[in-house]
Amino acid sequence: MSLWPADVQERAKELIGRYPDPKSAVMPLLYLAMRQDGYLTEAGMGEVAGWTGHTPAQVQSVATFYGMFKTEPLGQYLVSVCTSISCMLLGGDDVLEAVEEATGVPHGETDAERLFSVEHVECLGACGGAPAVQVNYELIEGSTPDQARALCRWLQDERPEVVNTDDMQERFGGRRSFDWAIAESENAVGPYPAFGPYGTTPGGEV
Amino acid sequence: MTDLVKITVDGREIEVPAGELVIKAAQDHGTYIPRFCWHPRMKEVGMCRMCLVEIETPRGTILTTSCTTPASAGMVVHTASETTKKAQAGILEFLLINHPLDCPVCDKGGECPLQDQTMAYGPGESRFVEEKRHFEKPIPISDLVFLDRERCILCARCTRFADEIAGDPLIEFKDRGNHTQVQTFPDLPFSSYFSGNTVQICPVGALTASAYRFKARPWDLRRVESSCSHCTVGCSIAVEASRNDVLRFNGVDNDATNQGWLSDKCRFGFEFIGSENRLRTPLIKVDGEFQETTWADALDLVAERLGSIIEEHGGEAVGGIGGARSTNEDAYAFGKFMRTVVGSNHLDAQLDDGLDARFLAGVSPRAKIGDLDHAAAILLWAPDLKEESGSLYLRVRHAVQEGGAKLVVIHPRRTGLDDRATHKLTYRPGQGFGLLADLAGGEGDYAAVLETLSHGPVVAIVGRTGLTEAPELAEAVAGFALGLPDATVLPFARRSNVFGALDMGVAPSLLPGRVAADDAEAMAQLEAVWGPIPTHEARDTLGILEGLAVGDLKALILLGADPVRDVPDATVARRGIEAAEFVVAIDLFLTDTNQLADVVLPAEAFGEKEGTVTNLEGRVQKVNRIVTGPGQSQADWAILDDISRRLSKPLAFASAEAICKEIADVAPAYAGMTWELLEWDEKEGAVVPYGEAVQPLIHHPAAADRKALEAMSRQPSSGAFALHLARTLYDDGVLMRNSLSLHALAPGAAVHLHPEDAGRLGVTEGALVEVKSVDASIRLPAVLDSSLLTGVVYVPFNQPWTPSLGAALSVVVAAGKEVSA
Repeated sequence: MSLWPADVQERAKELIGRYPDPKSAVMPLLYLAMRQDGYLTEAGMGEVAGWTGHTPAQVQSVATFYGMFKTEPLGQYLVSVCTSISCMLLGGDDVLEAVEEATGVPHGETDAERLFSVEHVECLGACGGAPAVQVNYELIEGSTPDQARALCRWLQDERPEVVNTDDMQERFGGRRSFDWAIAESENAVGPYPAFGPYGTTPGGEV
Repeated sequence: MTDLVKITVDGREIEVPAGELVIKAAQDHGTYIPRFCWHPRMKEVGMCRMCLVEIETPRGTILTTSCTTPASAGMVVHTASETTKKAQAGILEFLLINHPLDCPVCDKGGECPLQDQTMAYGPGESRFVEEKRHFEKPIPISDLVFLDRERCILCARCTRFADEIAGDPLIEFKDRGNHTQVQTFPDLPFSSYFSGNTVQICPVGALTASAYRFKARPWDLRRVESSCSHCTVGCSIAVEASRNDVLRFNGVDNDATNQGWLSDKCRFGFEFIGSENRLRTPLIKVDGEFQETTWADALDLVAERLGSIIEEHGGEAVGGIGGARSTNEDAYAFGKFMRTVVGSNHLDAQLDDGLDARFLAGVSPRAKIGDLDHAAAILLWAPDLKEESGSLYLRVRHAVQEGGAKLVVIHPRRTGLDDRATHKLTYRPGQGFGLLADLAGGEGDYAAVLETLSHGPVVAIVGRTGLTEAPELAEAVAGFALGLPDATVLPFARRSNVFGALDMGVAPSLLPGRVAADDAEAMAQLEAVWGPIPTHEARDTLGILEGLAVGDLKALILLGADPVRDVPDATVARRGIEAAEFVVAIDLFLTDTNQLADVVLPAEAFGEKEGTVTNLEGRVQKVNRIVTGPGQSQADWAILDDISRRLSKPLAFASAEAICKEIADVAPAYAGMTWELLEWDEKEGAVVPYGEAVQPLIHHPAAADRKALEAMSRQPSSGAFALHLARTLYDDGVLMRNSLSLHALAPGAAVHLHPEDAGRLGVTEGALVEVKSVDASIRLPAVLDSSLLTGVVYVPFNQPWTPSLGAALSVVVAAGKEVSA
């Protein structure tokens, strides 16, 4: 018996149908579970186990291996600051410090109101536009500590329901690497990557 | 036959099968390469990196893992070069970074691969001065196993075992990198029937068994190899004891049987041996209460009472039940005692829960367990092997997963092997005959199943799926199976040495050595050694119990048998025993049955006596002594010998080994089967008939036609449900009752029914349901089980605190409330 509403179940079936073996659909379904509960709950992982034929322990193993599957509740905005080598050389650590200061949230944590979660992450593939920051996995390149503070203030004051790379880059970004991110952006509606099939984009259609 | 290739290991040329992993090839030729993650019975992963060796390639030598490198012609391997040594030392330094080195308080200390290999290959000191990682230690991951994550070196042996071998992937790695740990899902423990194997294969002390924690240091243990007595596979085990207490069983890798694995019942089912409930002195009943007495007084009483009954009513007024938990030597002594000293043919090792003795002893052609590995198809129409025979379950699982065999499972409900079955057929108890007719006909849906079974070699594992099932069904299934291409049958019965006891003639229809009791020529040969053997009609267990109830029989001798718990129809058992004039029981414990006896004599248990046992394929193996029995307990044969002397017909056995020699002389199928053979030449055990020996009784089950099969089909009475009554791994048997780690794991009484039936009866999960049979009416909590067909209920047999339901096919089922209203 599924805990998920009928439309999510339909989506799960569709996702499973894309693979020869239901077990292969574990990662897409984990995103679906994360969208349902805001993060991966035990019940959500159990649900994915039921759909895929894995045991819950196996689902947990996958879920805890990948950094983008979250097993703790998140804020409305997940701010990820890259501190890998290129970003680090160009001030990523200062950007992180600015974000921590502006939000009042140390990295790896979420504030009490569940507005911000802050993390430092490994390479975002945006070395050409270092230092890079993401909000709900929407990318901003060429950030500075001041811009990062402004970004956080904006999020706090405006509380946008949807965040978008183009928009944020224009307001808070600096030097960009190249344009690929813009074309691929789908606008994120929560602290999950914006993927149509998982319902994490506005509309969220498959 | 795989091609052999020549490779050079440390300058020595050896010939090994092409594609064999270097680590295995080297070991088989005497070069041990250190390892943690690699295990010969599991797939290689190359996780721990300890087995690094140098291999010469056209581009220079490379350092690579020998557990993932297949041998190829001309390969040159260096396992002890400077570079290899440096690499191994480096790996050990890394592995020890987070290891707590709490060896003095670790169960594994003294037999720990990490400890040993650090001594042999390690750097001796560490450059790591930072804080090690810390975890709560230890945490229980099941009722039987504790996990200490600080000690873990992440070799994944346990998680791979759980997934690959046991099929219960309930433990897995959690998190990543420096945070990686082995974990269960919260509130979902590692409740695998095979969890104990992970303790044995853990190369560090991360996994420890609750039954053994802090009990002994390895160097204080004495060890002897033996053959497990919990089911009819006879897995090879190491029995380890300290200060006359058996403390641990470990699996021993016998390629023919268990390949090193044990179910938890076998691994932890040793606790009964040292139980304080063991009988220590003979007991005689005085005014309805047992009193301790001396052997002399007890034996005098037995001889006097038995003697006068035999004198008055003849030997055929005495029945004998038991022997299936004894050694072959004890069972042989029991058969000879009954037939020649008492003068009765009423003896049976089965408890009305088995199959026809001639089928079990004589079915031909009979499969070996190892045949499963090469089978194209396996037909499993038998009890749920996961519940009744853990290591056979693992063998079938392995044969399907790795050997590519197609599996057909036929059973009244879900079984542990359904997930590996190509076809699963479910039927209502009583209607197996009809299903068999349909299957043999191969019409419609059955065509595909029959097609799967039409590619040989086929191995059919045939047994009684449940206790309400007619034993004739197995015979008919075997008859059908033997018509399949290149087919062999592995007959399945459950109670430890039941095959040995039948082979020793402890059955109404058999004489020692797989001889039919009506074989006049063999009988004459046996009488030449034994003296006269009675000729009267013989009764089986049910016949003996019924005979006692109506007074046809007067006395009963029980040898390690507990009919009140084990005979499916407990009422018949109780009635018979209560009516008997005299009952003497030879046993380890006071049981529900021998509480009713007049005399109870304390016997030696597994681990306290030497002898041979025979498994379901006919493999004879040695069991060995490591501790002395408690108090004044004696071997079964010695007790019977003492009674025989007092009855003035001395069996005059000198020792168990002498009995084995006598068996080899008089039992045709056991000719040549001696302790020396098993101890020196046939360490995997020897399948009888061995060498020149012959088996006089060859039983070919006949295939029945549709008409005959349909005539045997049975329906529950109108409005009633068909009862499926089957055993579970852990139950209320006397050995389990006295193995405290396991007894609590019995699933408990319940009635499983199909959700549709439950809906119709207005029953929800957990609600009390009234189940009424001819003999009894009991209330059980409901479990919804959609693996059953409608109209069928499943009740696990012999659960703690649950009265018997009898073994009639029909039961009336109603919601608890309705009945009380």
